[in-house]
Amino acid sequence: MNEQAIKDLLYKLADDELILGHRNSEWTGFGPILEEDIAFSSMAQDKIGHSLAFYTLLQELGESDPDTVAFTRNARQFHNSQLVELPNGEYDFSLIRHFLYDNAEIIRFEMLSQSNYEPIAKVATKLKGEVKYHVLHANTWIRNLGSSTEEAILRLQSSLNEALPYALGMFEVSTFEQELIDTGIYGGEEAVKAEWLQRVQAVLGKTKLKLPELNGITPKLGGRYGEHTAHLQPLLDEMSEVFNIDPTAEW
Amino acid sequence: MSLTSLDPRVTRLHLPDGEIPPMEQKPALDQFETYEVFHLKKEGAAYTYVGPVHAPNEEVGFLFAKEQYSRRFPCVGLWIIRTDHIQVTPYAGDGENIYEMIRAEEPGTRSEQAEPYEIFQLKKRGKAHVHAGRVTATSFQEALQEAKQAFGEKGPVVNVWIVKSGHVLQSGEEDRDMWLTVPDKKYREATAYKVMDKITKFKEEQRNTPA
Repeated sequence: MNEQAIKDLLYKLADDELILGHRNSEWTGFGPILEEDIAFSSMAQDKIGHSLAFYTLLQELGESDPDTVAFTRNARQFHNSQLVELPNGEYDFSLIRHFLYDNAEIIRFEMLSQSNYEPIAKVATKLKGEVKYHVLHANTWIRNLGSSTEEAILRLQSSLNEALPYALGMFEVSTFEQELIDTGIYGGEEAVKAEWLQRVQAVLGKTKLKLPELNGITPKLGGRYGEHTAHLQPLLDEMSEVFNIDPTAEW
Repeated sequence: MSLTSLDPRVTRLHLPDGEIPPMEQKPALDQFETYEVFHLKKEGAAYTYVGPVHAPNEEVGFLFAKEQYSRRFPCVGLWIIRTDHIQVTPYAGDGENIYEMIRAEEPGTRSEQAEPYEIFQLKKRGKAHVHAGRVTATSFQEALQEAKQAFGEKGPVVNVWIVKSGHVLQSGEEDRDMWLTVPDKKYREATAYKVMDKITKFKEEQRNTPA
């Protein structure tokens, strides 16, 4: 079993979860209403928990401990898709990103729970239920707001148009793609993307929102290979501020 | 000048420093409706009232209830009921039985066919309503009489809530894994933060440092 391929897969999963978890946590105390603030913050916490689970698997494969991996790398060393590092914008953008991201994430978790690589299968099986709630949350809001007022529909549509090229970047294939598929470790990005499109369309079909024509869109690639937007490094600097002041701090 | 804060998220909002312009007046009673939430702590227990949520509709109510009432401690299921779908009896005093104190009333309307109703009982003031079971009836009044027959003898019961079963949004069997990992999330519980040792140590150090 190729360890490099598994590490590559774990890094991309973990980095997506960490960066989006951090981004979404920026809403804590700023959410549109108290109940939603609590729900969004809880899900952000879950995502950071998922990154910890994957970083722990990496540590078992000989990588540094999770804190070191999370807090001491620079942007070039991160494998997250560019979608998750974009600033929060207004709530419509954060909701659309949540919708596009989590509908892909649940497919990855469903696939990985069947993985031949048992440590990943175990983690995915255990955490799948959390992602299921995240998807329920995202889909419920998109269904409700996507068929409500003119302002809500316009805002969501414009955020959807803006986020989509980045969302397609989530499915950037790995150097080890074929190997992961052939060995039954992971079903691969093309399979995730095909299923994702169906699920996303099914929800949007119940709203007044329209998925833009995909043929005319160039996916924002590079994130999986360390190419990021200017937004990632400032996020990392802020996230690791306490760690950098005192790496031994406990709370 | 824009506002600068120790919280970088606040600074990034570029809020004007100084007086905040007044907010637009909201219409009176511009609020979400309320839903009542019941949780099931474990298999074999009864659904128990945990509190209300404000939400624009039932399904969003479920999302909020899930995080507000089941983000800590074990849970295997949630029920959500719109507040005005619940019929409430008068309250008896502790130790009394409300079923014995109210007269059977003629219903104003009856459904053509009997339908199921859920019965929730409060055993003691200050406690929570607990699901006693289900009865079949053609009206709330008949459901109350049925409930008296079925559950009323094991008093005291100080208050009863009656709801048509069709008005209860219930989580399903397949939803259970949404709560699977909640008991592991110790970081959501105050007891996970053991700070007294650190505070005692800090005070020791302060005492031993010459002023």
